[in-house]
Amino acid sequence: MNGIWLVALPLLGAFLLPIVYRQHTIVGYWTGPFILLINFAIALGLWHGIANGPQIIAMGGFSAPLGIIFYVDKLALLFVIAVVLGTLVLWLGKERGKVQEETLLLLIVAGGCGLALSGDLFNIYVFYEIVALASYGLAASKGSGAGYGASLRFLILGALGSSLLLLGIALIYAVTGTLNLAHLAELAPQMLNGSTGLVAFALILIGLGVKAEVFPVNTWVPEVYATAPARVSALLGGIVSKLALLVVLRLLVLIYDDTSAYLLLLNLGVLGVLTGELAALRATDLRQVLAYSSIGQLGLVAIAFSIPGSAGVIAGIALALHHALVKPALFMLTPAWGGHLKRLVGAAQVSMPGALLFLVLALSLIGIPPLPGFWAKFLLVTGALGTTENVAWYQMAIAVVLIATVIKTAYFMRIARLMFQGQSREKPVSAPHSRELAPALTLVGLLLVSVLTVGPISKSLEAVASEASDRKAYIKNTLPVWDKSFPALSVK
Amino acid sequence: MNLRDISGLIFIIGLGLLLGAVLKTLAYDNILTGAVGTAILNNAATEVGTANIVTSVLLAYRGLDTLGELTVLFVAATAAGLVLGQRRPEAVHDPDAGFILRSAADLLSPFLILVGIYIILHGHLTPGGGFQGGAILAAAFFVPILASPASPFNHKVSSLVEGLAGAAFIIIGLIALFDKGYFLAPLLGTGEVGQLFSAGSLPLLYLAVGLKVGAELAGLLARLHETEASD
Repeated sequence: MNGIWLVALPLLGAFLLPIVYRQHTIVGYWTGPFILLINFAIALGLWHGIANGPQIIAMGGFSAPLGIIFYVDKLALLFVIAVVLGTLVLWLGKERGKVQEETLLLLIVAGGCGLALSGDLFNIYVFYEIVALASYGLAASKGSGAGYGASLRFLILGALGSSLLLLGIALIYAVTGTLNLAHLAELAPQMLNGSTGLVAFALILIGLGVKAEVFPVNTWVPEVYATAPARVSALLGGIVSKLALLVVLRLLVLIYDDTSAYLLLLNLGVLGVLTGELAALRATDLRQVLAYSSIGQLGLVAIAFSIPGSAGVIAGIALALHHALVKPALFMLTPAWGGHLKRLVGAAQVSMPGALLFLVLALSLIGIPPLPGFWAKFLLVTGALGTTENVAWYQMAIAVVLIATVIKTAYFMRIARLMFQGQSREKPVSAPHSRELAPALTLVGLLLVSVLTVGPISKSLEAVASEASDRKAYIKNTLPVWDKSFPALSVK
Repeated sequence: MNLRDISGLIFIIGLGLLLGAVLKTLAYDNILTGAVGTAILNNAATEVGTANIVTSVLLAYRGLDTLGELTVLFVAATAAGLVLGQRRPEAVHDPDAGFILRSAADLLSPFLILVGIYIILHGHLTPGGGFQGGAILAAAFFVPILASPASPFNHKVSSLVEGLAGAAFIIIGLIALFDKGYFLAPLLGTGEVGQLFSAGSLPLLYLAVGLKVGAELAGLLARLHETEASD
């Protein structure tokens, strides 16, 4: 199976969906989920197929670095599966017949898969733009005035970020004359590990950081997540944000190994954790609490990815996947329970399943064993303790992570206490609709399955991480043809 | 000035200084003859068979990027359609333009269609191609609306063309996947460089790009035009 299907199929579906809907509405209802199911099957098949080594796909038959390549390794596939499965779960119980919204969802899946798989810097930018534009549209899809305002501010910040990203890529191209990641990895030690290369990295990090909710450019997060439909917040905060960090990880491993770029990401991550959690403590709306806590969680992932070597990669993947299960499920409670936290008094009597769901998810986010959140944080702390360079920075990061955990406990338990209190005189909240509970329960089911299979999961994550942090293998897998046919160009 | 303005100012000044410092370190002598550029300049004519080297980069070497750019436009149009309001049937249109403008618009649009198609079909030979030609095609359908705002625009046809043209681009790519084993590989041989029928399947791809861009832009402009201005 060729990995290009993962991108081509949802794109084809998105282009044809409006036409299909006009001809047969019933067929239209099922087109989106059907395509996602096929995509999921293809991704699982590919996972099986690349057991012995990654698949390299040269677009148009032009080998790297002349053409664009897709590098299908386990790390990329893991995120592809997360995007496809996440969107599929969030499709459960969705209101049917909204053509433009479903088109944008398919496009976000196509863009997300491309972002994870692509091995070419400019191609990554193109897919990032697809994902970004689709999220601006989805953020406004509720049709409320506040939603339009939030989406517009998101658009302005995102456009600034995209131009900085493009500027960073242009700088790299101006210095090296190539865009292929493997070729860049080969040239980086001589050409990119100086100050110009680091400036390019900083620009790219800020650019990608808009989607990844990295510290200075995450001001859109609370506003958008409070006004967008819950499913969109779940998709953006839970899944799409990680794809941007995946690209940052690829750049760090391949191009900026042995540089201080790691420290830049570490510090932005630490600031993100601190500001996110402190803001969540002060927030008074459940949706905003979740939004700020997602900034904090992505800060944790950023800290994890800033630990050099496979220990950091494995911790980052574990944190990212855990958050991708938990946060969307929590967001699914907000259509009924959003608004001021005071409204939640007595929520447990209205809907016991909803309150228990919240409690389990919150405990996992805090990191109470045996829930998976504990293992993810444990991996992060042991990874940070295992560093040999810049030890002081990583120790500072550990301290911040622990303090943040205390803060997280404080605000989540405060909300849980409100829920389990006796009913107040005010009008209580309504119970979450089963439409919203269906995806949440599916995600919690997956979470509980992962509790039981922690052993096998950690073993396969180790394999993923060790493959992903192997810079030499990436170059060797991608560039062999190039070296033979154009010997003069391989080294400048 | 409040704190937000000041922090914005500091950011802009900092970014400017940073870029100034970086631009000083870049070499300006042989930037364009870097590794990949040279190889493409040497190989494009024989490998792909386009007289216009830019086209060989856009459609052959980096065909996936072009598909991505098409998609970006499509996403933008879809998102705009989602946000823009519907027009009430009884809403009043702007009055028609005068006789001269209306006649000129009617005269102009067949020529615009001709020029647009010419530029699309010669994209592999001369500067131009699907995106530029598509923009001209869109103008051909939008100019009459500007001249007489009440004239109807058929969104069904435009979205049909848009969807089918986009699907055609992907399907040509998938045919190449089955035929040659690579997505978007050039098909049908290279032909004689400089002829209209050359460069294999590239003109077909450009035709798909042109139709899609044309239908999309025209549809988007018409939708913006139909949206009622709120007072």
